[in-house]
Formats: sequence, C-alpha cells, structure tokens
Amino acid sequence: MSTFLIIVTYLIFPGGLFVVAGGLVYEYADRKLVARFQNRVGPRWFQPLADFVKLLVKEEIVPAGVNAGLFVWLPVAALAAALAAALYVPMAGLRPSWSFNGDLIATVYLLMMMTLCIGVAGANTSDRFSLVGAVRALTQLFAYEAPFLLALLGPAILAGSWRISEINGYAQGHLWMIVTQPLGFLVALVGLMGKLELPPFDAPEAETEIVSGALTEYSGRGLAFFRLGRDIELFIGLTLISAFYLGGLANPLQFLVKTLVLLLVTAGLQSLFARLRIDQTVGLWWRIGALLALVQLLILVILKTSGVPL
Amino acid sequence: MMHIGSMTGDILASFFRKVFTERYPYTARTVPERARGKLAWDAAKCDACRFCVRDCPAHAIEFRVIDKAAKKYSFIYHEDRCIYCGQCVVSCPEGALSMPNKDWHLASTSRESFVVTYGEKAENAPSKGD
Amino acid sequence: MSLVTSMESISELAKSWDTHAVSPAENRYDIVVTRGNLLTIVAELLRTRWGFLTAITARDVSTASGSAPGKEGEIPADRHFEIYYHFCRGPAVLTLRLSLPHEKPSVPSICGILPSASIQERELAETFGIEVEGLPKAGRLFLSDDWPAGLYPLRKDTTPQSIRDFTAVAPPPPATVENDATPGKFTVPIGPQHPALKEPAHFELNVDGEIVTGVSLRLGYVHRGIEKAAEGRPWVQNLYLMERVCGICSHIHSMAYALGVETVAGIAAPPRAQAIRVLIAEMERIHSHLLWLGVAAHEAGFDTLFMYTWRDRETIMDLLEQVTGNRVNYSVNLLGGVKYDVDPSRADAIRRGLDRLEPRINHYLGIVTTDESFLRRTRGIGVFSTDQADFLGVVGPTLRASNVHRDVRVDAPYSAYRDFPVTPVYDDACDLAARVTVRVKELQESCRLVRAVLDALPPGDRAVDFPRRVPEGEAIIRVEAPRGELFYYVRSAGGISPDRVKIRTPSLANWAYVMSVAVGHKLADIPMIVVGIDPCFSCNDRTFLIRQGDRKGILGWDDLRRYAMQRYGRRAE
Repeated sequence: MSTFLIIVTYLIFPGGLFVVAGGLVYEYADRKLVARFQNRVGPRWFQPLADFVKLLVKEEIVPAGVNAGLFVWLPVAALAAALAAALYVPMAGLRPSWSFNGDLIATVYLLMMMTLCIGVAGANTSDRFSLVGAVRALTQLFAYEAPFLLALLGPAILAGSWRISEINGYAQGHLWMIVTQPLGFLVALVGLMGKLELPPFDAPEAETEIVSGALTEYSGRGLAFFRLGRDIELFIGLTLISAFYLGGLANPLQFLVKTLVLLLVTAGLQSLFARLRIDQTVGLWWRIGALLALVQLLILVILKTSGVPL
Repeated sequence: MMHIGSMTGDILASFFRKVFTERYPYTARTVPERARGKLAWDAAKCDACRFCVRDCPAHAIEFRVIDKAAKKYSFIYHEDRCIYCGQCVVSCPEGALSMPNKDWHLASTSRESFVVTYGEKAENAPSKGD
Repeated sequence: MSLVTSMESISELAKSWDTHAVSPAENRYDIVVTRGNLLTIVAELLRTRWGFLTAITARDVSTASGSAPGKEGEIPADRHFEIYYHFCRGPAVLTLRLSLPHEKPSVPSICGILPSASIQERELAETFGIEVEGLPKAGRLFLSDDWPAGLYPLRKDTTPQSIRDFTAVAPPPPATVENDATPGKFTVPIGPQHPALKEPAHFELNVDGEIVTGVSLRLGYVHRGIEKAAEGRPWVQNLYLMERVCGICSHIHSMAYALGVETVAGIAAPPRAQAIRVLIAEMERIHSHLLWLGVAAHEAGFDTLFMYTWRDRETIMDLLEQVTGNRVNYSVNLLGGVKYDVDPSRADAIRRGLDRLEPRINHYLGIVTTDESFLRRTRGIGVFSTDQADFLGVVGPTLRASNVHRDVRVDAPYSAYRDFPVTPVYDDACDLAARVTVRVKELQESCRLVRAVLDALPPGDRAVDFPRRVPEGEAIIRVEAPRGELFYYVRSAGGISPDRVKIRTPSLANWAYVMSVAVGHKLADIPMIVVGIDPCFSCNDRTFLIRQGDRKGILGWDDLRRYAMQRYGRRAE
C-alpha cells in the first residue's frame, strides 16, 4: 500500500472520519428508535453532530484539585483507542484495513480502554459523584468483560482463527452462528449494552443518583471526545457482533441491514427495563452471564471435538 | 406471576403509531372554550366600581377615572402580572370584563408591550392622590 | 373510631389531667396547658395512642390591635405568643393551647417523645423566635443561611419596612457537616441542584461504599413567605395565593382555604359547588398520581414507563382544561362556591376521557405489580412498619401503604365526600412496592369517584355571595391532598384579611419517614425512598418572607460583571 493510501485509510475511510460519522449516525438512530418506542418524536438527524460541535466550542473547565494533564489527555486516549479498534473490524462490510493473527484480542482490549479511561477520569477529580461513578464503572467493567470476551471466543474457536477478518469470512460460508450459539449471541449483545452503559446497565451514570457519574466534572472538548468515543464503540460493537453471529458482513448492504436490525433490538431492550443497581448488575453478570457464556463454550468444544459439523 | 419486559406490547405498538408529541408551534393548538386569554374590558358597561382592582390578587389592573360624568376612564391592564385566575371577571357586577380564549399567544420580547391601555390614554388622567 | 367515642375519651383524659377543656365545635376539643404539664400530656396522648400530632401552630397575639402591628417600638401589654398542638384521631381534633410571654418565649421540646415533631419545632424556632428547649442543635432548616439572626418573619411586628430598617446582626454560621476522615467514607451531597430532585432541597448522605450511614436534611430553597403574605392580603386574593402553595395539588389548597374561610364566616357553599370541588379534587389526584408514577419510574431508571404515564396524564390535563380553563392552577374555587359549572356535554367529555384512561391505569397496575425489573427496585426497599408510621404521624399514601387505616376523606368526610363515599386503599407490605401499588389503586378509585360525582351532580346554584369582611373566629380544616392529609388553620380577627393562616403540608409530615428509613440502604435506593413520599418541596417551603434590604455579600449585576472580568483576566495572564 502506498503511503497516501495508508493515510487515507487511517484518516478518512474506513478509519477516521468515516468511523466518526458512522458513530454519530448510529447514535442518532439509537436515540430515534428509543424515542419511537416511547411514543416520542426524538432528535433530528443532525442532533448528535450539533451536540458534538457545541461541546467542542464550549469552554473546557479544569476543576481544582485534579491532575490537569490526565484530565485533558484521558478523553483523547479513549477516543484514540476507539478509533484504533475500528481498523481491525470489517467496517461497512469491507475488508478490515489492518489485520494480524490475534487482532480479535487486541480489538477487545482497545474497546475496553474507553471504560478504563472513564474510570480513571472519574477517580482523578475530587467530586463525589465522579468518584462513585468511577467505582461503579470499573466494577461494572469487571462484571461484563469476561462474559463478553467468552462470547466472542465462541465464533473464534469455530473458525479456528483469532483474526477478525477470517472469522468474518468463515461466518459468511456457514450457518449463522446466532442459530448454533444462541447463548453466546445473547451474552455478546447484552455485554455490548453493559459496555456502553446503556439502560438498564447505566448505574455508572445514573443521573437520578450521581448526576453524570464519572464524567460529571467534564465539559467542552473532554466530554465531546468521551461521547464520540462511546458512539464509535457502539458502531464497532454492532459491526463485530453482526460479523460474528449474523452470518458475516460481505458487502455494505449486508452491513447496513444487519447492524440496524441489531440496533433495533438493543433499542428495544433499552426501553424495556428499570435500571439495575450496581450490585444487581454484578450479580446478573457473574451468576447468569458468565455461566451462560461458559456453558455455550463447553457445548461448542464438545461438539467440535466430537466432529459434529457446524 | 412475574414478568420480564411487561411493556413489550406498548413499545411494539408505539413503533407503528403516530408520535404523541404535538409539534407546537408548527401545528395549531385549539384551546377549549373556557381557556382564559387576554382580559378584555367593555367601556360601555363599566361602572367604575373598582371591584376588579380590589380583588385582583396580582395587582394587574390599574383604573383611573378621567371624567366620571362622561364615563371617561383609563383601564390599564398588566398582562405580565396577570395570573389569569378570572377573579375580576367574577367580581365585576356589570359584566364589563371577560377573558375570551382568542388572545393567548402573549409572549413578547419587550416589557412595554405587556402594558395594555383600554379607554383613554393614561397621560390624560389626573395624578392619583392615593 | 367514631366521633362520639373519640370525644368521650378526650373528656375523660382531660379530667384525669385536671385541666380546663372547652369544645369550640362538634369535632373539636381545646385544652389549655402550661409549660409544666405539656410534656406529661403529650406523652400520655402518644402512649395511649389516642391520636397523632398533626401540626404545631404558633400565633403572635395582641388582643388590643387585632391584626395590625402595634405602634412603633411599643409592645402592647397584653401581647403574647400562643402555641397550639393539634392532635387528631378519626374526625376529632384536640388542640393543646399554650400561652407564652412575649419576652424571651421558650417551650420544652416534645421531640424527645415524638422525634418527628422536630421539623415543626424548628419551624417554630426559626419563624417566631420561640426557643424550643431540648431541640438538637442543627443549622437552619427553612430560613436562608444569610437571613439575619434575631429577625423572625412571622411575628406581627416584622414588616417589609422593619426588615429594611433591621440593623443587621450577622447570621449564625452555617452548620458544618461532620466529615468523617475515615478512608472510604465520605459525604455525598444531593441537592440543592440535582437531577433526582425536581425542586431544590439538600441532603447530606454519609456513605460507606454504597451504604448510607447518615442523612441530614435542609429545606427552604424555595421559600416564598406565603403564610406571612396572606396576613397582608384580602381574603379573596389569598384564595389564589394558596393555590400557588403547590403547582401539582393547587386545587386542594385553595379548596381547604375556602372551606376554612367559609367555616369561620358561617356560610356554606351550595351542594352543587361542593360536588364540583370534589370532582376537581379527584381529577387533580389522578393527574398528581400519574405524574408521581412517572417520576418514580424515572428515578428507577425506567424511562419508558415514565414517558407513557406522562403521555396518558395529558388526557386528564386536557379534561381539567376543558372544565376549568387551565391545566394547572385551575382557579375554580370562589369563597362561597365555584366559578365553573359542569354541564352535560363536559360531563360526557370527562366520561369519554376516563374510558380511555382506565384501561391504561389497569395496565400500569399490572406493570408495577409484576414487572421483575421494576420490582427489583421497589420490593423490600424502604420498609416502614405500621407501628412507626402510625406513631410518627406520617400521612397519605405513604401511611396507607404501611397498612394504617387513615384517610381524611373517610375518617372526617368534608365537602361532598359524605355523599360520595370513598373506598380507601391499604397495603400491608409496608415497602416501596406497596406505596406504588396504593397510589395506582387510588387512581382507579378516583376514576370511580369522578364517575359517581358526574352521575349524581346535585342541582342548584354554583355559588353564594360572600362578604368582604369575615367575622372573628378560627377554623381547622383537614383535607386529603394527593400526598396526604393537608392541615389548614385559619383565623380571622374580623378584618378584611386573615390574622393567621397556618398550613401544614403533607410532605412536611412525611420527612420523618425518609429520615428514619434511609440509613442502611444503598445509595441507589435513596432517590427511590425520597420519591416514595411524593415530596413536594414548594409545599414545604411556603412559609417565609424573603425580602432583603441592602446588605453586603449580595452581588449585583455590575459586581458579577466585575468579578467575571477579574477572574478571566487572571486566567489569561
């Protein structure tokens, strides 16, 4: 690849700008769907972009008593990690722009950076709500991360590869894995919601208790980056799950249809439940989530070793 | 009997329904007949008893007599102070006051526009002693 | 608990205390007490569970000057304070009357016997400057922190002019919160501005991890001085002032006030007016409970339920608008009647609206009683025992969810409730889930009542004439607001404006529950526990006059501008 093409790949398509735009569009779609489920109008199409631009323009207030360097750079790190993760994922149904053996693990860890940064950012300030929010965010991280990873391992084992592009290719040629591994799909989808702190897993930013959680002290650019990072994670997460469980992403049309259907399901799930307390979240994940993922994995390993074609 | 997701029916139905939100001011809103809008004063019926001034809880009405014999009064109504309770309409023994539901788009960017003078101009009124 | 047995029991008790007792009305008994026997009598009343403490009213009395303040710097010889402790049992009201001298008034605190009395006693101390001996030292509860010490808003000689002339004594320093230095323990402030609070209040929660270990409360951020303001306005104007005590239960406040004034004047509103008042009151209850259900769902993070209940609330709001002309402050009451009649076409409109609303309410009852995710946030949370609820004088749905059988509409039917009997709703689960269930079932009951009133609306006039002056006298009115028992004490000195209006709102009586239940719960449960009483801060905070003279420490527009320029100038350097 020429240097020019590499730069285009990083900055414009399918990384960089495309991912940013995609994240904003998917945030809009998510909000609009939830609004429709609640019989409301919902935002106009440019609302996420308008929010982003508005926050960029606003003054960034660095509160007293924080490590200013950390405060300013954590959002940047979170956004950068999310953008980097996009490079290994078949965005828009195209071949990932970068790929190596084991990139699945790297991607999962890059996606986790977001929550870590939020946790550290919350602990960095002396604000009560931020501290409680940070503790909750990190607690929740430990709750969903293991089941989520296990749920992504299932397809990897089946495909016999740790490379996302190869798993995607495998999924295209075989029976949809949502059929063969329904439990894994469920855990992965709900895990994504936990990761993004969407209701009912929004205890770390429960506004009626701790205002905005770890991000309470953030304003302006920092908040804009965190929010954008989260939008991008939504975009990547949906892509990843559709690629693995919904028969792979062969072309942009498939990509669009499959991710949007998935988004419709998550929006529905967001509207259906009351918020879980943090102790209930942890209990749910370790008692049910981890168990389901393990059972799924066990079945898979047994079937694979006994030579049943999947 | 415990349920999980007992609002599933609602959200699915809502997906195919018109949104409930009214897009005011892009769509017109009809107000009920009894809605109370801007106070209207009928000079011909007024008897200068000032009951309305006395009973107004928000001090929204000023009343000045210019020429009692000629029935020349100045009735000054402060829209911004008015709480639209309708007590003046009830208190008026002559039925000179009403709060029709026509005028209710009353927002404005200037304070002055909220002072409505009915009848004679207030400048013509003799300065009040009280 | 019939009226007769209650009244008999009180006359027996009075005999045993060797006190002077009079009965000013068929359901009332007044007993004159002294500083010496007050505590014994209160303890006896509560020990035997004769009834519960409804309100503590204080008055600044000067028989010579009526409602007008005395001459400049001159205190009339007969001037004194009176404190009334109102106890209720069923329909009966017992008032303990205590006189205090004007110089250095002090009264023993009853909060050693009844902890929930402390909120009302602090109100007494802050507004009247009556020292309450034995009240735990704490910062201000109602008055703002910069209100000068030694200036008591509800005394008769406190006027806007006297406040301006007041030579400022520095206010007492705000109470410092005991901050535990132990690692892992800290204080989480909730309020005055916080997304969980729709109105300003301030809680300091000491937490150990996620567990709450202590709570303190500060109210008064939206004081408007309504009780004081009422003393300077004509009777008619106060009708609309009272309506603004609370935005949600506005009608019930003006209704209670109108009933009080009508009782003092000895003029009853015609039956049709009474029925219409009840009709609007029940429609208001529907709107208030639906609003509450949405707020509770939102606090639990169940925003879909929140959106749907508020959508359906529009139905009842539109009906109220059709009948009264307004969506919120209906202004339907007059002294001596109501402003608007309910004609057959409007009655049909209401019936049609209820036809739409009732299936929805039944649906919501199903959700709140069976939805697992919602029940996980309510079941077994904030358990408040029947005994505690009864003793502390908690009111309304909060009380009935603890299975105490008390509802003013049933115990002491006022207005037209005698003709339209209410079937009260109780629940013995005593937790948050019970509070939700009781309120949703009350919605069903209110719908039934509205239909009953519409079907049997008595004929006749909708109002009678009412005089401008009200003869001397007093009245105690208890009504069942959506949040619980609302207490009004109205007193006329024969003038064109009231001598004293005391309002004890339901939220004030219910704080006792929050304070006693919160400790030991998780931080995430606190907003739910608070919302369990349907708190209405503007109701609490109605009492005081906030009007300040020129004082230092307040930044004007120019000061603010200068301050901002200095601040940003420094940063630029």
